[in-house]
Amino acid sequence: MHRRRFLQHAGCALCAPAADRLFFRVTDAAAAVAYEKLDPATRLKLADMALDLARRAGASYADVRVGRTEQEFLRARDRRLDELTSNLTVGFGVRILLDGSWGFAGSDLVEEAEIRRVVALATENAKAVRLIQAVPVTIENVPAYREDWRTPVRIDPFSIATDVKASKLLAINEAALTAGVNYCASLMRFVREEKLFASSRGSRIAQVRVRSAPYFEVTAIDRQSGRFATRASLAAPRGQGWEYIEGYDFLAEAGAAAQEVQQKLKAKAVVAGKYDLVIDPTNLWLTIHESIGHPTELDRALGWEANFAGTSFVTPDKLGTFQYGSPLMTVMADRSQAGGLSTVGFDDDGVRSIGAEFPIIRDGIFQNYQMAMGQAAFIGRGQSNGCAYGDSPASFPIQRMPNISLQPNPKPTSLDDLIAGVEDGIYIVGDASFSIDQQRYNFQFSGQLFYEIKNGKRGEMLRDVAYQGRTPDFWNAMDGLGDASTYHLGGTMFCGKGQPQQIAPVSHGAVAARFRQINVLNTSRPDF
Amino acid sequence: MLLTPSEAKAVTDRLLMRSKADHCIVRLNGGERTNLRFARGNATTNGDQSHLRVTVESHFGQRAGAASVSGLDGQALDAAISRSEEIARSAPENRELLPPAGPQIYPGGAGYDAPTAAVRADRLAAVSKPIIDEAASRAVDVAGYCMARRGFDAMATSAGLFAHDAQTGAEFTVTARNRAGTWSGWAGRSDTRFDLLDTVRLGRHAIDKAAYTAPAVRLEPGRYTVILEPSAVCDLVTWMLWRMNARDADEGRSVFSRRGGGNRLGEKLFQDSVTIFTDPGDPVAPERVFGDEGLPQRRTVWVQDGILRNLIHSRFWALEKGRDPVARPGSLVMAGGTTTVDDMIRATQRGVLVTRFWYMRLLDAQNLVVTGLTRDGNFLIENGRIAAPALNFRFNESPVAVLANVLAIGPSERTRGGENEDSVVSAPPLLVKDFNFSSASEAI
Repeated sequence: MHRRRFLQHAGCALCAPAADRLFFRVTDAAAAVAYEKLDPATRLKLADMALDLARRAGASYADVRVGRTEQEFLRARDRRLDELTSNLTVGFGVRILLDGSWGFAGSDLVEEAEIRRVVALATENAKAVRLIQAVPVTIENVPAYREDWRTPVRIDPFSIATDVKASKLLAINEAALTAGVNYCASLMRFVREEKLFASSRGSRIAQVRVRSAPYFEVTAIDRQSGRFATRASLAAPRGQGWEYIEGYDFLAEAGAAAQEVQQKLKAKAVVAGKYDLVIDPTNLWLTIHESIGHPTELDRALGWEANFAGTSFVTPDKLGTFQYGSPLMTVMADRSQAGGLSTVGFDDDGVRSIGAEFPIIRDGIFQNYQMAMGQAAFIGRGQSNGCAYGDSPASFPIQRMPNISLQPNPKPTSLDDLIAGVEDGIYIVGDASFSIDQQRYNFQFSGQLFYEIKNGKRGEMLRDVAYQGRTPDFWNAMDGLGDASTYHLGGTMFCGKGQPQQIAPVSHGAVAARFRQINVLNTSRPDF
Repeated sequence: MLLTPSEAKAVTDRLLMRSKADHCIVRLNGGERTNLRFARGNATTNGDQSHLRVTVESHFGQRAGAASVSGLDGQALDAAISRSEEIARSAPENRELLPPAGPQIYPGGAGYDAPTAAVRADRLAAVSKPIIDEAASRAVDVAGYCMARRGFDAMATSAGLFAHDAQTGAEFTVTARNRAGTWSGWAGRSDTRFDLLDTVRLGRHAIDKAAYTAPAVRLEPGRYTVILEPSAVCDLVTWMLWRMNARDADEGRSVFSRRGGGNRLGEKLFQDSVTIFTDPGDPVAPERVFGDEGLPQRRTVWVQDGILRNLIHSRFWALEKGRDPVARPGSLVMAGGTTTVDDMIRATQRGVLVTRFWYMRLLDAQNLVVTGLTRDGNFLIENGRIAAPALNFRFNESPVAVLANVLAIGPSERTRGGENEDSVVSAPPLLVKDFNFSSASEAI
């Protein structure tokens, strides 16, 4: 589930140890000391201590995550900066397998006494849940790694002064307001997530991930009629650094958005019915997320998430045979894509993930689930494919999405080519309202901008459009797929799953695609 | 980590004393959470999480910045002060920035229960086991979540304000599915007190719903009379309350905007029997002791007898409009009536009973139309009785319209919505006419 559409990004990388000091903008001696308190050597020492305590407690397996996360958040409303916050979070979590039961505990206080308390608590929890552990937990063997990994970035976003970022936001708002909108709100969020993973099998993996997430939304109001409309930025959160913010022409988009939102106020309301759709990748990434990403999570298919996130219509008997969609369709899972929010060297089970791409759908046929440690045996497979993530070191790692992307058509096919094949249809740009059922059949998505397609040409703007469908019917109705020239990497910082709910960042690459005879609603009509 | 008022004050005093800013606001938030999940007869994940966050907000004239750190390390706290002052000094001026509030008198909190604060994983496992056993004996699978938490919030300002509020929370939710995967049921509740959860009753309720053997009927989308159980009402009303912001309304971008300018305060928007309030003293769903800007939360009636009586006003917006500030609420009570769900079923010729909603998202801001789906316990009602399970629906509907179409209200009870953990909501079941189911969903 994609919970909220703010933005972010990830991406970063430098590998010299001295670079750590550069990432943290040291402002005085006290700040430097606070940072140094959780330096890499200290993290290793604390992790070793936790693993030793777990071994003494009788754990057959244990892992520890020690983390330090910096976040910066800025928000501008119209011509003023509304919020400017810098957060630093440290923490750790200990997971132990004791007599076939997991026990987990975590804390924000990274110090020796707390580690003793937390390991004891994890042990107590493992003993407590034995009461309801009918079948002991078993896990596959995972090789031990001693490696460092960092997301490549050219410009660390935390090296850019906050006033530069604030000026950028105020300039976006000014551009939109000058172009005639009533209101503009913009924000940026930056994250730098450092995590040390250590396991009783000998792994010691240090990783750094960076995310950058810009966003703005303009509002236009017609006072006479009382109608209002919004248009949100199409910029996606990315696993990149400040170079992404610099390279994106927000002022041009703000100007365009200002024009478009005013057109939207006066646009023709869509007439509900069945239409051929050409869906822009700025919209389709979210449909991929909801209707392909979530249904192919193995923990859902096994029923482990039935109480909240739900189960899946993609049951294990469909592996290798189910016609998910058009033969044009290949969907890959990866942890390697440049700028991907899920791009990372190892997952939170310590499984090597970079370079371990796998197809979820190939030529329209369902091929693979996403798995975390301890799941593969349930479908007769040997190993996890590296899809575990905990949203903080103090969160129990669960199966979460890698980057999941619809592959471009190898045959040259432009957006115009797709539109040219439609007599009476709609072109949809940008994501908006999104909702899907707990088994991932019935979905409904809206968008930011909608255009008529008449006789192969893009026409007038429409408003109040949402498309609704049934996942396999929708993907089997795809008869046109854009080539790499139409590729866009979308994503969210806020995919929710689990209880207590955890939030994960994930990217989805998509190309433009054409779908035949899809149900379209008019969202402003009382009955739709 | 849970800090007492005096412990919290020691931290805030230290930080305020070291502040060099014109004004300084310190916020603390901490707590511990113990949780346990189970599915298909087995424990899955569990955990204890302990957290503590300290946020320092510094003001220099009309410039402001904030920095936060986890933990209580003295040097890290000093670094947070420095960081907040540094970014505040470089921030652009914000003409709407107000100096922090001074000393306040707060109501007593009703949100903390000491026995709940002491609940550990063994207790969670013990209350889950009977439900897992009963499910096995009735050939259904259950998946559930059991949680107890304890936490606090504190706030202090350089103008002399100090506020502290401690809360506990407990939750038990369970989804039951028959082995064929052709039907399901859900029950759940959150509460301030773990002892009030009645997990056995909740588990049995979910299993009873899942154990219906009649095949589910497929109904055509359209407008139906519906009986919304409290969880579904919780979600709808919460969606509306989140958007009851005076500024949005006054600026013309809300369902609560009046055409031509201003807002709809004082208008009769809902059925006569609809009253919604928040109250720190409410014994069932107590509101927080203080709001986001540090002012005391008072009993606030948002809707009285169907009339819109209050909208959220920040301190700034209240000043602009010459009104008292009304902070964003952290709880909700929809006043109940006397018509039970059984009474509603008996009074319904043809309709649908809805157990809970899922994946609700805003579809049309202009009319506050929300989309979502029914889930885990939809039933067709015919001639005053439950006739059969009914396959799920997607709906596109406005909570404003729903509350205008209320036919009967049942007793209000503490409940939990489909997606929002830690909600503090008391809601009744509702009998509502003309609810818009827009498409069918085959998901079970």
